[in-house]
Amino acid sequence: MSAPSPLLPRQDMREAALFFVVSALCFLAALSGLCARSAYAAADAWTDRVTGQITIRVRGEDAAAARAVAIAATFPGLTEAHALTRAEAEGLLKPWLGAAGVPADLPLPHLIAAEAAPGANGVGDRLAVALKAAGLNATVDDHVAFSADVAHATDSAGLVALTAVALLGATAIAVIAFATHSALLARRDIVEVLHLTGARDSYISGLFERRFLMLGVEAGTCGALLAFAAAAFILFVVKQSDQRIWLLPQLSLSLADGLILGLTPLVAGISAMLAARTTVLRSLSEMV
Amino acid sequence: MRERDDSLDQPAVRFERVNLSYGPENDVLSDVSISLKPGSMTFLTGPSGAGKSSLLKLAYLALRPTSGRVSLFGVDTSRLKRPELASLRRRVGVVFQEFRLLDHLTAYENAALPLRVSGENEKRYRKDVEDLLRWVGLGDRMDAKPATLSGGEKQRVAIARAVVVKPDLIIADEPTGSVDDEMGGRLMRLFRELNKRLNTTLLIATHDLAMVREAKADVLRLADGMVVRQPAPVEPAEVGAP
Repeated sequence: MSAPSPLLPRQDMREAALFFVVSALCFLAALSGLCARSAYAAADAWTDRVTGQITIRVRGEDAAAARAVAIAATFPGLTEAHALTRAEAEGLLKPWLGAAGVPADLPLPHLIAAEAAPGANGVGDRLAVALKAAGLNATVDDHVAFSADVAHATDSAGLVALTAVALLGATAIAVIAFATHSALLARRDIVEVLHLTGARDSYISGLFERRFLMLGVEAGTCGALLAFAAAAFILFVVKQSDQRIWLLPQLSLSLADGLILGLTPLVAGISAMLAARTTVLRSLSEMV
Repeated sequence: MRERDDSLDQPAVRFERVNLSYGPENDVLSDVSISLKPGSMTFLTGPSGAGKSSLLKLAYLALRPTSGRVSLFGVDTSRLKRPELASLRRRVGVVFQEFRLLDHLTAYENAALPLRVSGENEKRYRKDVEDLLRWVGLGDRMDAKPATLSGGEKQRVAIARAVVVKPDLIIADEPTGSVDDEMGGRLMRLFRELNKRLNTTLLIATHDLAMVREAKADVLRLADGMVVRQPAPVEPAEVGAP
């Protein structure tokens, strides 16, 4: 005994076009999701890296730098302080000056790296006062302004990406609802025959729900795979450039990224199914 | 077969002062009151545009009346919720004028459609459907799609679909309108046999007055949306008595 034919005809060109549109929307939504996550992750990484770090620039002789280190090493609220060697200071300038390094005759300020104890608020300002009181010409940077700027910038970028995800998701749902309605109109004869042969609304709706659930899952999977490929490509390009392409999103393809990609087909499928259900039941309610 | 219940003592179809209009000044049916006895066979006649198809649509619950009451088997359909309407529809087999077969299904699948949508197990009904299709002369056309069937074959598939659940009421709109005289005669014999064997109530809209005279059944004539009940011929309702 062969399997019975599906009550809804197999996919036609309309659904192929819809599959393409939903796939593209899912691709964009997944990529936006990855960008949003990477923006927040980058913000966390950058702020984590500088939180508690204090940089002291001392102008003057080596002796002034040594006095500043001595003050910082015993200053309340600081756990550690040491002077950076010239090589370490040149390393900090490498991203701007390149591998050729710093000219030997270029004077560099004396730099001291210190670390604040967790919860030691305002230690940078107090240290600046203490160094000035000791007669040293020093500048203390606790990176608070930098961290705030980074957090603000990445929060904005993340918010834009999340808004894009929401808009793309809403667009996908609207497109699916519109397509379901079109499919229902195109197959109104089938729906009417099923209706008049005693099929309950839930039965007819179920036919469309299953069809569009599968369409959403398949299109979502396609979109997620494309987003994965795009993210992997960006990651590859960034790695190839020795991390110097700052304009590209810093994608990592971490577990969280995998979760975003894995959820894309599920969300697309459920959205498509719910859109189909709502549309079909509303259309059926117009029949007796 | 479903067990007979008390509702079968009620008129199979009852219209009480039914009006139907498709908009202002577009009255289709006016003050129609009819009552079909269970097991009766009734022809609905009248000129084109008289409202025959609209009356049938009200009877098979595809339309609601603008006013008045439509009852099937003693149940006021205006009081029913949608799931209850679906259950009631399963007691009614409809043969549409334009067949309305699903093109992507085979003749067998079209005929089995009412059983499939009601959730019956195919293993239980497959043989019955095949026997029914053989009975209407389509034993060798079960796997054919509607596009490859002749008009008469499509009509017989539509009739098989209407009778496959052994409904208490069959409503047919011009069932012989697209077949030749010989096939029309065969289909009418099929209807009469259903009426006799299963006590199925039949309501058939037709232009074929010769067929009506030959059938010796009740006749309702529609003119300008009004029903005129013709005198019952000899042995009308008894045709289908159990």
